[in-house]
Amino acid sequence: MSLLTVEHLTIRFGGLVAVDDVGFSAEDGRITAIIGPNGAGKTTVFNCLTGFYKPDVGRMTMRRDGREYLLERMDGFRIAREAGLARTFQNIRLFPRMTALENLLVAQHNELHRASFHSLAGLLGLARYRSAEKMAVERAAAWLDRVGLTHAADDEAGSLPYGDQRRLEIARAMCAGPRVLCLDEPAAGLNPKESADLAALIRDIKAREKIAVLLIEHDMSVVMEISDHIVVLDHGAKIAEGTPDHVRADPAVIAAYLGTAEDAA
Amino acid sequence: MPFAQALREAGMAAFVAAMLAVPLVGFRLADTSTGLRIDTRFDWVAFGVGGVFLGRLLLGLLRGRGPGSGLRLDLPKLPSNAGTLFGAGLAIFAIVMPFTPMADRYVVELAITVLIYVMLGWGLNIVVGLAGLLDLGYVAFYAVGAYSYALFAIHFGWSFWICLPIAGALAALFGVLLGFPVLRLRGDYLAIVTLGFGEMIRIVLLNWKEFSGGSAGLTSIPRPSFFGIQFTNNPDPGVIPFHEYFGLDFSPMQRITFLYYLIFALALATNFFTLRLRKLPIGRAWEALREDEIACRALGINPTNVKLSAFALGAMFGGFAGAFFATRQGFISPESFTFIESAVILAIVVLGGMGSQLGVVIAAGFLILVPELLREFSQYRMILFGLAMVLIMLWRPQGLVAHRDPSIRLGAAR
Ligand SMILES: Nc1ncnc2c1ncn2[C@@H]1O[C@H](COP(=O)(O)OP(=O)(O)OP(=O)(O)O)[C@@H](O)[C@H]1O
Ligand SMILES: [Mg+2]
Repeated sequence: MSLLTVEHLTIRFGGLVAVDDVGFSAEDGRITAIIGPNGAGKTTVFNCLTGFYKPDVGRMTMRRDGREYLLERMDGFRIAREAGLARTFQNIRLFPRMTALENLLVAQHNELHRASFHSLAGLLGLARYRSAEKMAVERAAAWLDRVGLTHAADDEAGSLPYGDQRRLEIARAMCAGPRVLCLDEPAAGLNPKESADLAALIRDIKAREKIAVLLIEHDMSVVMEISDHIVVLDHGAKIAEGTPDHVRADPAVIAAYLGTAEDAA
Repeated sequence: MPFAQALREAGMAAFVAAMLAVPLVGFRLADTSTGLRIDTRFDWVAFGVGGVFLGRLLLGLLRGRGPGSGLRLDLPKLPSNAGTLFGAGLAIFAIVMPFTPMADRYVVELAITVLIYVMLGWGLNIVVGLAGLLDLGYVAFYAVGAYSYALFAIHFGWSFWICLPIAGALAALFGVLLGFPVLRLRGDYLAIVTLGFGEMIRIVLLNWKEFSGGSAGLTSIPRPSFFGIQFTNNPDPGVIPFHEYFGLDFSPMQRITFLYYLIFALALATNFFTLRLRKLPIGRAWEALREDEIACRALGINPTNVKLSAFALGAMFGGFAGAFFATRQGFISPESFTFIESAVILAIVVLGGMGSQLGVVIAAGFLILVPELLREFSQYRMILFGLAMVLIMLWRPQGLVAHRDPSIRLGAAR
């Protein structure tokens, strides 16, 4: 059984079928890419998975630690907290006026809030809370180090360069302790050098954390290099699926990307 | 700004001014022996509109490109602990103030009023400044606190120190009650609902005569005692009043000074509590919610709890301040809890710089003292007050103290 299984996922906006009977799965220690032309419905799949949209049809099942979570029935914040899905956003959503370090601490809110005994232990300055905070800071510092932002720990997140913000958002998602990390176009707007670093970071996360990574990306050099499995969407429907080599050779995929004769007309 | 654009903007401003001025200034009811007559004063209108046109044109030409640029008041860069030092200085001044020669009855009473608003501003700062929830009905919690204190003290004879936590708890409860229906609202919509809530509380108090005394309000609310020792010149038989207990002559200043230190302590407690909470997970969650609610959800934070806790704690401090207000006045009525109070408190928070504790103090001082000092020009008072507000918002749209201290620093935390 897979860690995350998506079956018959369908969602309509008015007359538009944004996602049409899509199914795929994600496994621990694997990178699953979701690709497709603009408007194919990739972000919408993420929004369903993370509880921002309720799908019209379909089932999204997360199985971990001997428990089953039916994501379509859960509130968004519970999906992150209990099922363990964390995501980044296509247009970065950091907490811009808070520092990089604070961003990473907010991601650990639930644990810390429990340790602060709903603020009581924290208000009294009890050792229990202090040690929990110390651990949270250590974890945040470790992630800052891994994304190369230690020097900017106390800078406002909104004032960081674009590429740094992208990496900080990934670090923040990781600080939430996910089992599935959903990345929505992490390489968008990065230069080739930054893209290569990012690919290395994602591969490193997969190898060391052994979590499942779901990756939406337009930059094919990144996708083909690091993905284990690729799902191709077009006009909401899944048109192909398989290894990078398999997908690259698929005529339907080529047609979707280049546009067939009738599309062009 | 190009001349044409400045001209266009000035024209627009003049048009708006004309629309307002014609009915407001242009016509005037004159009482003559034969009855009422309408006089016109279109010359006044013309002066006013001309003034607005020229002023706006000048402003447009003086300004660089884009709205607001060029006309900013950039304060010199201060060392990072300047705020703390200034705050400590203010606190020390506040402690010694009643013993300085300047401290007559009027001054201390005025200082008490300022401190009430400082405390209210700090309370509202949790909701508006930290959690980013625009609340236009904050005065409701002030009222709940004041009426809880008054009713418990009058009917049960409980002392201030017992009634104070009750008033705070009830206000917090009302905070949660308000919080529930508005959980899904943001920005303008939230502001409108909270405004309505504030008015609802006031109107209930106004009409539920058996409970709240209606528009006549509640009178003879017990005055505060010095931990059980009363401030009075004609004590009940067998009771030792404050001045005898300490072997002093009776003076009304004793009670006023006590009230002053009481509100000072309450306000300071509010400040320290808020500063502490800011460094805890809940405080960071408030700020994160203000910055981006969607990102909060995606990180597993339950926005409902975060919002309700902000409403409840903010309301609680409003309730404490209300209890103090009731015991200080000895008399309360719905008159004291109108929308304009909410507006002033909100103005204190916004003007001070959202989320800044020191900014609240400065803004409260400004907003309470300036109208007081302008009493001599009473007829122009509100105009000058409004003008000052507009100028400050033009110069420093981010508030007087825009600086935000991180709740934690990497170097210091390890
Ligand atoms: N909330 C919504 N209401 C209406 N239509 C929507 C909504 N969200 C998405 N859509 C539509 O669904 C379709 C799929 O959008 P989606 O954002 O998932 O595309 P995408 O594959 O992420 O594209 P891109 O590569 O440009 O990010 C689009 O046609 C979009 O306009
Ligand atoms: Mg997208």
